[in-house]
Amino acid sequence: MKRIWQHPEAEKGKTGKNYWRSLGELSNTPDFRDWLEREFPQGAAEWSTDDGLSRRNFLRLMGASMALAGLGLSACRRPEAHLVPFTKTPEWLIPGKYLHYSTAMPRRNGAMPLQVKSYNGRPIKIEGNPLHPYSMGKSDAFAQATILELYDPERSRSFLKDGKPIDRKTFDEALEQLKQSWSGGADRKLAFLVDETCCPTRERFRSELFPDSIWCVYEPLLTGNSSEAASLAFGGGVKVLPHYDKADLIFSVDCDFLECHDGNLKSIRDFMNGRRVRKPGDKMNRLYAVESHYTITGATADHRLRLPASHTGAFVLALAKELVRSGVESGLAELVSAIDNNPETVLGVDKNWIREAARDLIEHRRRCLVVIGDRQPTSVHILGLAINEALGNLDNTLSVIEKKQEPGWNITELADAIGNGSVETLVIVGGNPVYNSPVDIDWKKLLKKVPTVIRLGMHEDETSALSHWHVPQAHYLESWSDAWAEDGSYLSLQPMILPLHGGLSDLELMASLAGVSFNDSLELVQETFRGVVKKRWDAFKFEEQWNRFLHDGFLEDSAAKVKKISFDVINRCVDFLKRNPLRAEPLAEDRLELVFVADRRVDDGRFVNNAWMQEFPDPITKMTWENAALMSPTTAKKLGIVNETVKGIMMVDKVKISWAGRSIEAPVLITPGSCDFSLALPVGYGREITGKIGEGSGFNAYALRVSDAAYFAVGASIKKVDGKYDLALTQEHNVMEGRALVREAPLEYFNQDPNFTDKMGIDAHAPSGPSFYHVPPMNAPHQWGMSIDLTTCTGCNACVVACQSENNIPVVGKDQVQRGREMHWIRIDRYFSGEDEEDPQMMMQPIACMQCENAPCETVCPVNATVHNDEGLNVMAYNRCIGTRYCANNCPYKVRRFNFFDFNQRPIDELYKGPLAPKGTPELLKMSKNPNVTVRMRGVMEKCTFCVQRLEMAKIDWRAKQGASPDVTIPANSVQTACQQACPADAIVFGNLKDEDSEIAKVKTLKHDYALLEYLNIKPRVSYLGRIRNPNPKMPGADKIGMTTINEMHHHGHEENDGKEH
Amino acid sequence: MANIFPRWTNWLPLKLFIAALVLGAAVVWGVTYYFTPKYTRVGYMPQQPVNFEHAIHVNQLGMDCRYCHVGVETSPNSTIPTTQTCMNCHKQVKKDSPALAAVRESWETGKPIPWVRIHQVPDYVYFNHAAHVNRGVSCVSCHGQVNQMRVMYQDQPQSMSWCLECHRSPEKKIRPMNEVYHLDWKPESEKAQLEMGKKLVKDWNIDPPKSCAGCHR
Repeated sequence: MKRIWQHPEAEKGKTGKNYWRSLGELSNTPDFRDWLEREFPQGAAEWSTDDGLSRRNFLRLMGASMALAGLGLSACRRPEAHLVPFTKTPEWLIPGKYLHYSTAMPRRNGAMPLQVKSYNGRPIKIEGNPLHPYSMGKSDAFAQATILELYDPERSRSFLKDGKPIDRKTFDEALEQLKQSWSGGADRKLAFLVDETCCPTRERFRSELFPDSIWCVYEPLLTGNSSEAASLAFGGGVKVLPHYDKADLIFSVDCDFLECHDGNLKSIRDFMNGRRVRKPGDKMNRLYAVESHYTITGATADHRLRLPASHTGAFVLALAKELVRSGVESGLAELVSAIDNNPETVLGVDKNWIREAARDLIEHRRRCLVVIGDRQPTSVHILGLAINEALGNLDNTLSVIEKKQEPGWNITELADAIGNGSVETLVIVGGNPVYNSPVDIDWKKLLKKVPTVIRLGMHEDETSALSHWHVPQAHYLESWSDAWAEDGSYLSLQPMILPLHGGLSDLELMASLAGVSFNDSLELVQETFRGVVKKRWDAFKFEEQWNRFLHDGFLEDSAAKVKKISFDVINRCVDFLKRNPLRAEPLAEDRLELVFVADRRVDDGRFVNNAWMQEFPDPITKMTWENAALMSPTTAKKLGIVNETVKGIMMVDKVKISWAGRSIEAPVLITPGSCDFSLALPVGYGREITGKIGEGSGFNAYALRVSDAAYFAVGASIKKVDGKYDLALTQEHNVMEGRALVREAPLEYFNQDPNFTDKMGIDAHAPSGPSFYHVPPMNAPHQWGMSIDLTTCTGCNACVVACQSENNIPVVGKDQVQRGREMHWIRIDRYFSGEDEEDPQMMMQPIACMQCENAPCETVCPVNATVHNDEGLNVMAYNRCIGTRYCANNCPYKVRRFNFFDFNQRPIDELYKGPLAPKGTPELLKMSKNPNVTVRMRGVMEKCTFCVQRLEMAKIDWRAKQGASPDVTIPANSVQTACQQACPADAIVFGNLKDEDSEIAKVKTLKHDYALLEYLNIKPRVSYLGRIRNPNPKMPGADKIGMTTINEMHHHGHEENDGKEH
Repeated sequence: MANIFPRWTNWLPLKLFIAALVLGAAVVWGVTYYFTPKYTRVGYMPQQPVNFEHAIHVNQLGMDCRYCHVGVETSPNSTIPTTQTCMNCHKQVKKDSPALAAVRESWETGKPIPWVRIHQVPDYVYFNHAAHVNRGVSCVSCHGQVNQMRVMYQDQPQSMSWCLECHRSPEKKIRPMNEVYHLDWKPESEKAQLEMGKKLVKDWNIDPPKSCAGCHR
């Protein structure tokens, strides 16, 4: 009989209800209770009979396969294998050793400097470039996932003419003909529609090769509003660069600067470095966030205000007025009085909130920073700049730098030109404008007017379908190029592998169009490099400098120079602000606001065919494989929309969203923390033409997006349509209930009681004593341990994807996620806290295998497949595992993952086919695997290994280097796990506990270090640093911020030793 | 009185007998298959595309292992020499020998020589050469007296228990660093080996991994 371990109950009336993970949990529905009390999520361990394979059929097939196995006995002996060396020895390459190359990933706001790990000639893992300040060795989920993008079997493989494959030669000939028809300066008729890659060589081409052509840059999620504001305020060609490291107070207005969309890892790290509290008295910055829907920035914030995106302008104006009223002089006062055409208050915002926030800003003059989200209109940005200027932040926490790209035409202008018939050749480079440009541009009609449309794209998509010529694009890991980082520094991009499908890079296509002859696109980039460095050095040693550039990945001291420009608020901006007044229109259930947001997984849709990105749970909603419209519980109640969990699957209502004569259908997910009567629509899904992974996932929010309301719109209405829709949420799987898991406190509290984490929940009562189990001797020179700082963790998921890439973790598909069978070794639990269902606080907690010293999983394994080693690792021997799953049952953290199917061998839509169905991994996907980690098969349990392959490699490399020496301990902090290496916030510390010099040994001695479920006496090697928030005590509601665990789970009056008597 | 046993039981003894025969045969087959050196492939000596003789190169010419197997000191893999390595000498030495036709062809065409793999641990085993040769484990311990082999063959079973024998008592096999690549080197006696081995294990702080993660990841 199953013995049910009754976890000690929380005191009566203190049910721990304040940490809830979903609305179902808060309302404690019977279905949720049922879900909780099961050992495995419903369906996770069951054979479903409606999947087309009944038990009987299964046995029949098994019989057949046994018979076949009998016939096939002739293959008993090992087959002959071959060792195939190179003929000519390549330089640097030693088979079996990694090589690291510097490169950069083009992003719309500036490239991300990277270092790519290459194994026997194939890139297998992306890391940040440790030399460049914009990465410092860190990376994000998008960068990590580009490895899979490179090896995507569904990338475009051939040149197409009107949709039919042709060979390269035919295309080259056609290009020649086209060029001949231009003779006579028809350049004006040539138009480029390009994505933003921040590429200097491309800019050089634009000015040198195509000076008279139309050049239009389109990115669906790049507004340029911020730089437009900067240009208005300071004169053209500049942009502003915030310095989070210099700010003690950050006021973020609709700005998700902690999210990695724009690839700005420096902001994240700088901000988090100001938040890393180690001991009482340490300084900590403060974050105010104003936003319409929860973002990870809002989750990190000390004070968060829900505000519709369309009210933000009015809010910033109200803040400016409050600042003026509280005594801020400078041009702001004049500006505010000059444009005062607005209602006194922002609708529904507590006046005290604005007043106290303004006072706090004033107290932090020259050390604060007001950042405005890119999607807010230019006028709000101008106002933001004026506030920063008035607070003396300019040249302190905010500097003005030269912007290196020239602005091009915008897409509406291009559409007009095409409409006039003045474009004869349109070259579309990258992007997917037919899918993601505003719907008021009718590409189907427009492109018929252009005689020749050439499209360079990585996938055959909606844009390719309307183009005459489609050219496969080389991935950035396959091509030579260069880029500017966000601070304007000059980065190199080099190929890691020859183009897998014979694609062309954007530079190659442009050079061929212009008739530039070159042998290798390397020459094109070198030409630009020559131009850049010639200005810098008189003695010009090209080879040396070029090699240095490639090696480092960037040119030293090439960042854009800071410009000292004064900001003449009144003269420059008043007119603009008067022309563009800031209004807050009231919202209601029949007058909703739509907010188009970037999806945290597929960005603007470019990662929709990337299974890693599709499967990682959205940090806030925990949704996988598709998108849904998000709304607040109140809005849902008023509109009669419900979400319910049926047999562990989130069933939601579908609605028809109508705005300005257009409508779309979308499922609605109710999300606490969203502001009322605002609907967030994540873009990027609902693709018509894409690969198998992206096909049919989600709805297309671009279908409602028009050019003059591209980011938010007011006046939408929704109507419920029939039927329910099932979402794949990882949220309610594997719940740990009512225990003090995340522990947090406000800074003040921490300063008085740094030990607060030890006085919470059941752990405060649990006696610490000997264990009945025999602990294996752990006496090796390395004792591995990890610490995760809950204050700095944003829940961005970079670690999850890095782990997936490093450890060959398969994806399982939507259907399997719904059954709770996702395979990620790290899951990030997201908790809401506070009793207000509408406006809760949020916290993140990454959970992976805790490597317990007294591991409960080990004692139940009947075949010793999971055992302890002398370094304190709970190791997994896959080849011993017989798949009883006892270990997963006995794991209190529920971190073990079982291969219910051959996820690596089968496509996700063919998992249920019988044993005779074809198996095998596509060759391309095999290339993406880490050769140093076993690819697990069906029926095997797996879990986090602390990246044991890296640990072993580090130890071996060190010992091989030391040779005949007793020095076997690797130097402190010389090995990193994949998650730690990726984490842009440096929230994860890992290392050798026995080494006093190591960071981990120091972190573990901190007072607010605590272990999860410590009372079980299983001695986990992973511990957490309690979360600390820094609320402003004068703010309304400040007494509740960061206090949930203290109020609910801290038993007052207990002495530290008191617990022992219980 | 009705029959106590149903009719089909008449055939039961025969059926049992046949079943026992089949089972017995399976056991015999299993033992001969799994319990013989053939299973571990000791003595496996396939025909190579080039009749390369280690004996000539090492013993007669005195070449060091590391001239061809370059990566052995730094990499998990011991590099199989590229055609270029062969041609470094054979451009001058024996440049027209018919035995080297395949090498010359590879050099001219750029097609690699497909050497037949002899030593192969399962895919889930991550053996590392560098970890061993830099810590006093000689080539000879795993590969046998390659310097005397005219044709390369597998000398040791390379099974898990065989690995663990040494990992549990490294003092039996460990030797001074300068003798690692001297395949003919032998300790004076077993006792001398043990004495020296114990000292080296202590001096070099040697503690070979005996838990799963050392080799399985």
